[in-house]
Amino acid sequence: MIFDSRTKLSVCIANTGESYPCALDESLLRGMLKLGRKGVRAGCVNGGCGVCKVRIVEGTVKPLGPVSRAHVSAEEERCGITLACRVAPVTAVRIEAIGKFERPFSKEPAIAAGTSTTLLTTQQEGDM
Amino acid sequence: MGVMRIGHASLRVMDMAAAVKHYENVLGLKTMMVDKAGNTYLKCWDEWDKYSLILTPSDRAGLNHVAYKVENDSDLDTLKAKIEAWGVKTTELPEGTLPSTGRMLQFNLPSGHEMRLYAMKEYVGTEVGTTNPDPWPDGMKGAGAHWLDHLLLMCEMNPPEGINTVADNTRFMTEALDFFLTEQVLVGPAGDMQAATWMSRTTTPHDIAFVGGPKSGLHHIAYFLDSWHDVLKAADVMAKNKVKIDVAPTRHGITRGETIYFFDPSGNRNETFAGLGYLAQRDRPVTTWTEDQLGSGIFYHTGEMVASFTDVYT
Repeated sequence: MIFDSRTKLSVCIANTGESYPCALDESLLRGMLKLGRKGVRAGCVNGGCGVCKVRIVEGTVKPLGPVSRAHVSAEEERCGITLACRVAPVTAVRIEAIGKFERPFSKEPAIAAGTSTTLLTTQQEGDM
Repeated sequence: MGVMRIGHASLRVMDMAAAVKHYENVLGLKTMMVDKAGNTYLKCWDEWDKYSLILTPSDRAGLNHVAYKVENDSDLDTLKAKIEAWGVKTTELPEGTLPSTGRMLQFNLPSGHEMRLYAMKEYVGTEVGTTNPDPWPDGMKGAGAHWLDHLLLMCEMNPPEGINTVADNTRFMTEALDFFLTEQVLVGPAGDMQAATWMSRTTTPHDIAFVGGPKSGLHHIAYFLDSWHDVLKAADVMAKNKVKIDVAPTRHGITRGETIYFFDPSGNRNETFAGLGYLAQRDRPVTTWTEDQLGSGIFYHTGEMVASFTDVYT
């Protein structure tokens, strides 16, 4: 974003090797969605659904709000696992996306086939 | 006689102040009371009983329970017998278990969700009253939702293991609570597996809905708005308040609802929707959606599924 002059730090998604700039007051997930980038799955973007679960491989982040204990245990949190929607970068970071979608109807081939294309729709939606 | 309508939903939230702000400023509910444990009770302007939403402080999101109101106190005894005869255990919770609420019958649906029935809740009146009322009150906030209308529960479904709690719930609601089926999604090679159902006790297309998923949870709670224009305005309110919109204004094929989906600050999904859909009646033929056209059933205009909508819930 050419017109966004805020200070930003680099976020590298280890799974894909792609990097994007994220503002200091913005969650890692919002930063990614804003740019229309991919790599971390997006769901509620409010700490409740757990699909954007990540491991902070390198660097430091700061918490922006509570994460659901149904998805990130206190032990996991101590080991650097959190939700990308609930942390902002303090330094440049490298993250690994470890969240999973648990698909309803996943046993049904007709619907499972449609899901890979709709993932794209979700990511684009986050850009709006 | 029997179940009249949805009475309230009890939701877990991780940040009470943010949750209250959301339900007040975005949906337009008002806080009616806060109890000693910090649970907050809210209602919409067009509802007449004391509350329709309970927010409870928690370390996670999701549904604690959903309650339906029955017409007479004696219905609780009649329904207790029917529910137990069906094979579901019940517990009677005495008056005052929830504030301003009479005795409740508590049980779990085959999907595991906790449901409660009650006959009495303190009457406080709508905000326009009953004598020469105006069509809407002054000072409404946000979307100005009329009432809590229904909820959609994700229900464990694992066909290879022979588990389909969508079908089990549907049978239970029909046989024990006298709900009727309005629409269903049938899947599988023979097209005979109920993967989702919409059920009613009122004259609207759904008072509750069940959709199959890998584990049971809450998909959304839904609030009623008057018109398509109110849906557009609700989306404006969400944008103003930086609410995460999951699905921007569109129409469902299923129930014909005009809708928006969005998340509360703990990630519980909300819906604001408009449109009667159709007059739901016990003798109206059931609408069936097939697996190949399910995309149109869910989002009628694009016919495409949205991964976050179908796969994310609390």
